[in-house]
Amino acid sequence: MIPNPQRKTTAAVGAALTAMFVLSACGGDDGDGGDLDADIENPLSVGLVMVGSEQDAGYNQAVADAAAELDEIEGVDVVTADQIPENNSVTDTMQSMADQGVEVIFATSYGYFDYALDFAEENPEVTVLHQGGFHSGDFPENFGTYWGAAYEPVSLGGMAAGGVTESDRIGFVYAFPVAQSIANINGFHLGAQQVNPDVSTHVINTSDWCDPVRQQDAVRSLLNEDVDVFSQHQDCQSTVIQAVEEAGEHIVGYHYDAVDLAGEAWLTGSTWNWAPLMSEIVETVSVDEFTGSEFNDNWLGTFAEGNNPLELGTFGDAVDEDLQNQILEEEERLSQEGESVFSGPILCQDGSELVAEGEVATYEEVNEFDCLIEGVVGNLAQD
Amino acid sequence: MIEIIFASGIAVGTALLFPSLGELINQRAGVTNLGTEGGMLGGALAGVIAGLATGSAWWGLAAGALAGVAVAAIFAWAVVLRGGNQLASGLIVWFLMLGLTSVIGRDYVGQGVTSLSTMPIPVLAEIPFLGRVLFTHDPLVYGGFLAIPLLWWFLTRTRAGLKVRATGERPLVVDAAGHSAVRTQFTALLAGGALTGLGGAYLSVGQVGNWSTDMTNGYGFVAVAVVIFSAWRVGWTAGGAYLFGAMIATASVLQARGFAVNQHLLDALPYLVTLVVLVIISARRVQQPEALSAALSTR
Amino acid sequence: MPAALAAFILFAWTQEATPLDLWDALNQGVLQNATFIQQTLVRAVPLVLAALAVVIPARAGLVNVGGEGQLILGAVAATGLGVAVGSSLPGPFSWLLCILIGAMAGGLWGGLCGALKVWFRAPEPVTTVLANFIAISIMLYLLYQPWRDPEGTGQPQSRPLDTAAMLPMIPGSRVSIAILVVVGFAVLVWWLLARTNWGFRIRVTGGNPEAARRSGLPTARLSIASIGLGGAMAGIGGALNLIGLEGQLRPDITIGFGFVAFLAAFLARGSVVKAALLALLFSAIVVASNPLQLRAGLDGSAVYVLLGCLCLGMAALSRRRTV
Repeated sequence: MIPNPQRKTTAAVGAALTAMFVLSACGGDDGDGGDLDADIENPLSVGLVMVGSEQDAGYNQAVADAAAELDEIEGVDVVTADQIPENNSVTDTMQSMADQGVEVIFATSYGYFDYALDFAEENPEVTVLHQGGFHSGDFPENFGTYWGAAYEPVSLGGMAAGGVTESDRIGFVYAFPVAQSIANINGFHLGAQQVNPDVSTHVINTSDWCDPVRQQDAVRSLLNEDVDVFSQHQDCQSTVIQAVEEAGEHIVGYHYDAVDLAGEAWLTGSTWNWAPLMSEIVETVSVDEFTGSEFNDNWLGTFAEGNNPLELGTFGDAVDEDLQNQILEEEERLSQEGESVFSGPILCQDGSELVAEGEVATYEEVNEFDCLIEGVVGNLAQD
Repeated sequence: MIEIIFASGIAVGTALLFPSLGELINQRAGVTNLGTEGGMLGGALAGVIAGLATGSAWWGLAAGALAGVAVAAIFAWAVVLRGGNQLASGLIVWFLMLGLTSVIGRDYVGQGVTSLSTMPIPVLAEIPFLGRVLFTHDPLVYGGFLAIPLLWWFLTRTRAGLKVRATGERPLVVDAAGHSAVRTQFTALLAGGALTGLGGAYLSVGQVGNWSTDMTNGYGFVAVAVVIFSAWRVGWTAGGAYLFGAMIATASVLQARGFAVNQHLLDALPYLVTLVVLVIISARRVQQPEALSAALSTR
Repeated sequence: MPAALAAFILFAWTQEATPLDLWDALNQGVLQNATFIQQTLVRAVPLVLAALAVVIPARAGLVNVGGEGQLILGAVAATGLGVAVGSSLPGPFSWLLCILIGAMAGGLWGGLCGALKVWFRAPEPVTTVLANFIAISIMLYLLYQPWRDPEGTGQPQSRPLDTAAMLPMIPGSRVSIAILVVVGFAVLVWWLLARTNWGFRIRVTGGNPEAARRSGLPTARLSIASIGLGGAMAGIGGALNLIGLEGQLRPDITIGFGFVAFLAAFLARGSVVKAALLALLFSAIVVASNPLQLRAGLDGSAVYVLLGCLCLGMAALSRRRTV
C-alpha cells in the first residue's frame, strides 16, 4: 500500500568465513544459534525493534535470527517487536519495552536513529543501541550505533558476477538512491570489473523496498537487455531470485540465506551475522562496562578490523575454483590496513572524478557518494 | 522497445485486469467495492498456501478465487444484507485482510511456488510486433483475453447480465418484476470477488511465485479507479488495466536501456493519468449506473 | 460488538495468544501503564484532525478518502516552511505559519478534488484515493532530492526543524500542546457545523442538492468549500504532527493514519463529537499493538484485525445505516 522506505539493507547466506569474526565462536550457518560464547553474570532482558516483518527472508529476518541466538544465552531474556514504522511509533515500542523491564534495546533500522537517541537521553537506565548509522556528535553514556562496511562483501559478490557473466552485462535492482545503495552498486561494479574489464552494470530502481510486481518487471526488462547475472538491494529478495532462476540465469544474493531458493542460479551473496556482535554488547552491558566502551560510539565493522558483520556467503557451483580463489585473495587484500574497495582513480559516469588517483575513499566519503561510476548503465533520479 | 513495453504491460496488467473486471461486475450491480485491495490480498495468500500444498500453480489460482469469494462474502454481508456504507465497509474489509494476511502469511513469506510458465502460441507468436506483444505469455494472460469478450457478452447479451445491470440502475424495478435485487447484488459481489481473488493469486503464484506482506501495494484501489475511468464499459476497463501495466513497465524498460528518468514522476504518472482520464470521462457526462453506491433499502 | 471482540479473541487464540495473554497485555500494558494515555493522546493529534477532514465534507454529501494525502501534504508544507524559517522567527509565529501553510496545502489538495467533482463530476471517493498516491510521490521526491538532509548520510529525511519551531510540551508530560490545539479545532468545527448559518447551508446541500440549488444556495461553492475545509483540517493534523512531535519529515510520518481516521469518521455517522472520540479510541487501539506484541506475542499487524472486527461490528451489526 504505502511505500515504506528504509527497510534497509541486507544480507544473504551465512557461513564459510564466520570464523574470521574475531569475537565469535559461532561457526557455521547463521540462524542455528545456541553456541554463542557469552558469559552473562547478571541476568538481563534485551529488546529488539524491527522495521519490517521478522519473516521477510531479508534484513529483518537476519535480526530476528540474531535475537533467537541471543535468547539461547543463559541469563538473557529476549523480546522482539517487528513492523514498527519509522515514526514516533518506535518511541512507544521502546517505552513499552522499558516498562516491562527491558534493559538493552536494539533499534535495528537506520530511520530509528533520532528516536533511539532521544529515548536514550530520557531513559538513562536503559542502554540503547542503534543499528545502521554513521553519526557524528556526542553520545549519551547509554547510547551507541553500529554497522558494517556493506560494500566490502558486495564488491566480492560483484567479482563472482563479473566472472560468470557471458553477455558482459550484469544487473542491479535497487529501491531508492540512498547512499548505501549507491555505494553497493559502485562496489559491485568495481568488483565485477576487476575480473572482467568489459562488464557493464545495468541498474533499475523499484521505488519500493518490497514490491514484487515491480521487482519481477525489473528482472524482465533487464533480461530483455541480455543481462545474465543479477543482484539487488531490496527488502524482500525472493521474487528477484525466483525470476532469475526461472530464466536460467544467475544471482548474487544480498539479504538472507537464499541458497536453497536459488539452487543452480546461486553464485554467492552477503549475510549479516549480528549475533556475535550483539552478544558482546549485551555482555558488556551486563558487567556494567558499556559506558566508555567501543560500543558507546560509532562502531563500524570492516574487513580490515576482521569484524565486518556483513560476510561473504557460500559459493554456488557456477563459481569455479579459480574464481573462488581470486575472490578469497581479494578478501585477503581488503583485510589489509589501508586497502579499500574504492581506490582511485574512480570516475563518475559523467567523467568527473569521484576518487582521485592514489587516494582511498574513507567510509565517511563512501557514504557521501552521489554518483554512479563509469561502466554503470542507468541513472540516479536527479532533479 | 515499444514492443517490450507493450508485452510487459500486458503481463503486468493482467494482475490488474481480473480485479478490474470483478469490480466492473460489482459496480454494474450498483456497489463500489473498495475492499478489492483486501480481496486481492486474500487471493494472493490463499494462492500461495494452496500452491505450496499441492505443488501446482493452478490449484493456487483456484484457491485464490475461492478466497476472493470468501472475502467478498464478508463485504456483501455488511453492505447488502446489513446496509453498511459501501466505501467504509470496503476499507474495513481491506484493513481486516491486511491484518489477517500479514499474520497468517508470516510462515509463508519468501517460499517459492513454481509460477506459470509462458506458453507462446504457435504461428501467432511469429506475427511481427503483435505476436510478441500478445502471444508470448502464460496461459492466464490468454485467459484474460478470453474473459474480456465473455464478460461483455454476459453483461449485454444474457438475461442474468441484464438483471445485474438492472439492479445497478433500478433495483426497485427488479424487485417489482419478481426477481430479488438483493440476491442479484449479493451474487454479483461474489462473482466479482472470485475475479478479484484470481487477480491476487495471479500476482502471487502466477507471476512472482511467492507471498510477501502487503504485496498488492494499492493495485486493488487502482482497479476501482480503472472501472470508473472506463465509464463502466468492459473493453475500456481492460484497456485501462493494460495501460496501467504498461506505465509500470515503461519505468523499468526505460531504465534498463539507460535512459535518464525521474523515478518519482514516473511513479506518480499512472495515478496522474488515471486521474486525468477519469476527469475527462466524467466531464463527458457518461451515464453511471443510476443506483451506484446507493444502498438497497435496509432490511 | 461482543461478537466482534469474541471473533478477535478467537483469532488471537489461533495465533497462540490465549485470552489470559490478552488480559495480561491489557492489564499490564494498558490499564496499569501510566504512559499509555500520553501515547494515545500523541497519536490522536493527526487521527482526530484527519477524522474531522471526513466529517465536514460528509455533511455536504461528499466522501473524502484522501485524508492520508492531505496529512502528508500538510506535513510537507509545514516542513518546507519550518526549515526555511529556521530560528529566525519567535516560536509562536512560526507555529502559526506552519499550521496555516499546512491548512492551505491540505485544503488545496482536498479542494482540488472537490472542484473536479463540481466542475467535471469526477467522483471524489476515487479522485481522493488517487490523490493519496500522488501526494506520497511528491513527498518522496522532495525527501530523496531537493529537501534531503545533507547531514543524513543520504537517507530520505528533511533537515530537522529548529527547536524554537517545535511546540512546547504540556508541563509534566510528553504530550505537546498540539493536543489542545486539536481540541480547539474540534470545538470550532462542531460550532461551525451545528451552530452557524454556513453549517446549515452545508447540511442542506448534502441533504438535497437539487432543492438547495433551487432555493438559491451556491451549492458548487459550498461543496468545494466543505471538502477544502476538511482537507485543511487534515493538513493541520499533518503540520501539528510535525511541529508537535516528529520535528523532521520522513517517509513514514503518517503511514496509514488517514485510513484509520476515515473509518473512525464514517462510523461516527457524521457526528463531530463521536468522530473525535472514535479517533481517540482507534488511537488507543493502534498504540495497544505494542503490549499485544510484546506481552501476548501477537503479530504487529494483528491490531488491524482487531480494528477490522470492531468496525465490522459497528458498521454492520447496528440496525441503522451508516451515514
